[in-house]
Amino acid sequence: MHPLLANRARLGAYLLGWAPIALLLMGIARTQNWSWAEGAALALPLCLIAAFLFLSAWFLCRALPLGQRVETLGSHGAAWGLAAVLMGSIWAGLAWLLARVLAWIPGLGALPRHVDIALPVLTGLGILLYLASVALSYLMLAQERALEAERKGAELQILAQESELKALRAQLNPHFLFNSLNSLSALTAVDPARAREMCVLLSDFLRRSLGLGERRQVALREELDLARAYLAIEQIRFGTRLKLDWRIDPATEPALLPTLLLQPLVENAIKHGIAALPEGGTLAVAAEVVEGHVLLRVDNPLDADAPVPQGLGLGLRQVRQRLLGRFGNRARFEATAQDGLHRVTLVFPLEMEP
Amino acid sequence: MKALIIDDEDLARSVVREHLAAHPDVEVVGECANGFEALKAAAEHHPDLVFLDIQMPKLDGFEVLELLEAEGKRPAVVFVTAYDQHAMRAFESHAVDYLLKPFSKERFDAALAKARALQAAQPAAPAPSATDLAAAARQGKPLERIVVKDGPKVTVVHLDRLDWIQAQDDYVLLRTEGRSLLKQQTLASLESQLDPNRFIRIHRSYILNLDRLVRVEQDSKEHRDAVLRDGTTLPISRAGYQRLRTLWEGA
Repeated sequence: MHPLLANRARLGAYLLGWAPIALLLMGIARTQNWSWAEGAALALPLCLIAAFLFLSAWFLCRALPLGQRVETLGSHGAAWGLAAVLMGSIWAGLAWLLARVLAWIPGLGALPRHVDIALPVLTGLGILLYLASVALSYLMLAQERALEAERKGAELQILAQESELKALRAQLNPHFLFNSLNSLSALTAVDPARAREMCVLLSDFLRRSLGLGERRQVALREELDLARAYLAIEQIRFGTRLKLDWRIDPATEPALLPTLLLQPLVENAIKHGIAALPEGGTLAVAAEVVEGHVLLRVDNPLDADAPVPQGLGLGLRQVRQRLLGRFGNRARFEATAQDGLHRVTLVFPLEMEP
Repeated sequence: MKALIIDDEDLARSVVREHLAAHPDVEVVGECANGFEALKAAAEHHPDLVFLDIQMPKLDGFEVLELLEAEGKRPAVVFVTAYDQHAMRAFESHAVDYLLKPFSKERFDAALAKARALQAAQPAAPAPSATDLAAAARQGKPLERIVVKDGPKVTVVHLDRLDWIQAQDDYVLLRTEGRSLLKQQTLASLESQLDPNRFIRIHRSYILNLDRLVRVEQDSKEHRDAVLRDGTTLPISRAGYQRLRTLWEGA
């Protein structure tokens, strides 16, 4: 579809652009001793015809895109010239025909004679106007291409953001990694069997988290397995300071959710809950089904002396954004801190792999 | 040589202990799982050397060192941490050694040798203060809390609970939740570590938590007062008023 025909406002502007050309035609006709009525009667419909007839230039231009190379100018130029001569002639022919029709109207009887004299001028004018249409069409095509490029750019930007997220997901918490390796270093001397166990746990966690980074959504079961692998390592690090309480309804396990949504919650709970307290505490993970939704909860104790954090940290903000990005208003994110307990609750529709 | 091992993780302490076993002249006088235990053990045993973790609950490694200093003790320090290595690089200019977890036996022995040498040499230049080290490790980020030794008690003041600070000779008086705490530090040194958008030096002797300010009253042409949320008024100097205005106009 022609871009000018597709949009009413643009079509209006285009037709308005023809008004001065119609006036010019009338002016020229006056200099040739036409009457005003004759000039107007011919110029107005003729311009309207030209306006639509010369829209065809756009299709020609689309078929002959302007390349970088100068060589194309020759063949393109020939095509433009041929089309221009053809269209200019058709237009002049239509003027000839129109003049004969209009001659029936009283007072315009002299029109066919006037037009016959002006035919060469009209043909030339038609050729020029058609070439102008060609130029205009190339301008429109260029603008369209620019808009398209802009849209593609925006799309690429979204893709880049997504891959950034992916990198973020695959990123391991270096503090966790180095502390775990240090625990491992300690165990090799005091308890080689546990050191080996730690190696296995660490590999298990790394393998799972690398595998998950590749996917957009996973079953809750896999997220829970990853959290278990992670917490088993932290259990070795923190010893009796870390107590775990799992309350998982098996019905929630096949539920789909965005990848690595639970992991930041448990990491947060360790960092701000267990590691910040000399005596540690209980980290509780609960999942249940409530009215067709999964309710996923992570609780950790808080340092009562530290100020209650204002707003969400970056990790929790990203969890919320990704949860709501996936489920919209069908999901809910809540983070509360009171009576020495920090609780994050995610509620999202129970949807499973088909 | 008496050494103290301070780390909140059992296994992390056991690595240090294990490496120290190869140095029979170093006696481990205590192992502490947090800063409070460390202060107690230090008061009891007067260690020459401490192996100090940085990220610990309640009090971090820098705060422990700062409180030891406040008691006039300055043992040789080896920081043992999984902390950001860029932050640790800031220590290299301060002649303080650190071990990045996990570390090798060679690296450990080198750190110990350096600590010994420093202690034996009794360097002419005093050891860098704990607050300077902490500021270097923060890499330009402002302070979040202040530790104060108040008799036998240690108080941690989180900065959003700090109302204002007054200079009192070599001390600063910290006003927080209706209480006043004295800490040995100059107002200028404390000011340099605070977030300049939150804490404003409104007077030669006062720093104000901007969050507490309700309005500025002008008594006379040259004299203004800051009126705080709890009704307290503090004097504003001409330079202090200029600083407030720059902040407002910048906002």
